[in-house]
Amino acid sequence: MSQLRSSFRFKFAGALALAVVTTAAPAFAAKPKKPDKDFVLKEYQAATVALRRGDFAAAKTSLDAAITAIGGIQVDETGAKKARSLWSDESAKLFIGEPYERVMAFYYRGILYWMDGEADNARACFRSAQFIDADVENKAYASDYVTLDYLDGLASAKLGGDGKDAFDRAAKLTTASLPALDPTLNTLVFVEFGQGPAKVAEGKNKELLKVVPGTNLIVGAVLKIGEQTIPLTAMDDVNFQATTRGGRVMDHVLGNKVVFKEGTGTVGDVALAGAVTSLRFGGASDLTTGLAVGGALFKGASLLTKTKADIRTWDTLPGRVGVAPIKLAPGEHAAVVDFIDETGKPVTSRPVLIKVAGEQPDTVVFVSDRAS
Amino acid sequence: MKTSTHRKLALLAGAVVTALFAGCASSGVKNPSGVPVTEMKADERGFVAGTGIESQDLVTVTDKMARSILGIPEITQAKTTPRVVLEPIMNETRFPINKDIFLTRIRTQLNQKAAGKVRFLARENMRALEREQQLKQDGLVTASQDPNVVQFKGADYFLTGKLQGMSARTSQGLSDYILYSFQLIDAATSEIVWEDSAEIKKQGLEDAAYR
Repeated sequence: MSQLRSSFRFKFAGALALAVVTTAAPAFAAKPKKPDKDFVLKEYQAATVALRRGDFAAAKTSLDAAITAIGGIQVDETGAKKARSLWSDESAKLFIGEPYERVMAFYYRGILYWMDGEADNARACFRSAQFIDADVENKAYASDYVTLDYLDGLASAKLGGDGKDAFDRAAKLTTASLPALDPTLNTLVFVEFGQGPAKVAEGKNKELLKVVPGTNLIVGAVLKIGEQTIPLTAMDDVNFQATTRGGRVMDHVLGNKVVFKEGTGTVGDVALAGAVTSLRFGGASDLTTGLAVGGALFKGASLLTKTKADIRTWDTLPGRVGVAPIKLAPGEHAAVVDFIDETGKPVTSRPVLIKVAGEQPDTVVFVSDRAS
Repeated sequence: MKTSTHRKLALLAGAVVTALFAGCASSGVKNPSGVPVTEMKADERGFVAGTGIESQDLVTVTDKMARSILGIPEITQAKTTPRVVLEPIMNETRFPINKDIFLTRIRTQLNQKAAGKVRFLARENMRALEREQQLKQDGLVTASQDPNVVQFKGADYFLTGKLQGMSARTSQGLSDYILYSFQLIDAATSEIVWEDSAEIKKQGLEDAAYR
């Protein structure tokens, strides 16, 4: 026994020395910088703020940085492995967002491409966005963004192609009538309003990701130019899109973690209860010690198992989005966009100066009910 | 006897700990210190890859197109050096790209390999060229030739292209097929005197943490 203790002391001293050397090491060698697992989220949020402030160059920079990360296929990513392991929450992975968030990144980038006169690259973004929405549990909700198919068709029409297929797809997705694909409409007014979705972790072990729709007072918008009043109808509800994705593969992974957590917890509880019973009726024995040690280990493993779903959210997303193509004469047009409630009463208004250069390229206007 | 029991217990505890943490340890941490910057050939597939248009595709496609153009009689047997203007290519895929890069690489490949058999006209620089000619006509700068005679060459051919794609996404993964087609169009007759294409298909499946 004394030999064992002596050996333990020696090993403990060795481990302590190693720990001291290890912790002292950063003073001599530069620590490798950890990649920021939230950088895509920060770029997303920066992009919406920049867009609403009219700083389109900054919005482009942020969206390009984010799309570079989300555009490829995430394989062999260290954070993802951690997220799947028992000992880390899902948020250990690099954030790329749920499909509705990735869709919005491509949607915004498409608007900016169109603004730069690159309708084909804009269309590419809208197609990518619709593609991201393809893999849903209930196929009725697959690739069902009206705005994206409509803009795909409009871009094709403007590029001299046939946008009818995309337009027909968009028309099937909505009961509202869509503006005709008229290539001569030289101004596109993109509008967004309301509060987008939030995420919460539910379940006993916070393993269930639930998307909660944002509450919205604003239900529509109206563009006023001189005597003209043009309704700006929202074609898509981001909250609806976010809540119709269905289950994720990661939900199964989190479910397995919960099974492990609860299983080891139960085994630990039983073993510890056995140890107490054994102690009460038989006194301290090898069996008691074994049950206590085993129970503590299982209980510890259960406590260390992390099951929480990733609730990082692009919280600056709007509730609804839409686009209205209109025809304006070349020149400057002072306009106002009124965001209205159910009774048609303006909740807030935004002044807009629309500068139309001519027929080509299209003038693209982006209006949000929020200033940032 | 007691020491032996304690050793057994210690071994048992060790085995339990090993068993519990085995999943964690076996998953390991790959490249914990990151991967240093690696210089790669442009036609090499890197370790950062998606199913979209990448540099190796650009090199493969433009090399093929440049070789193909050089073999056509309109270029090899032309009595006078054909003048070519690049027209923007059309991107019909789902990938936003810098479209000019394809034609730029085809042009540089042809300029390198054609040894003067074909000439490209710098139409994207027309504004600067016209301004220079105006300065010469106004006598503000010197001119080696009569500035009032138009020297700008007209195009014999237009080189253009189109990128088209088909994509699929299911729970099994995602796949992207892209058809790269290029054409040489006779500027006088609108005839397509040359056309060639290349096709690339890629597929993959994301980590379960992102599905």
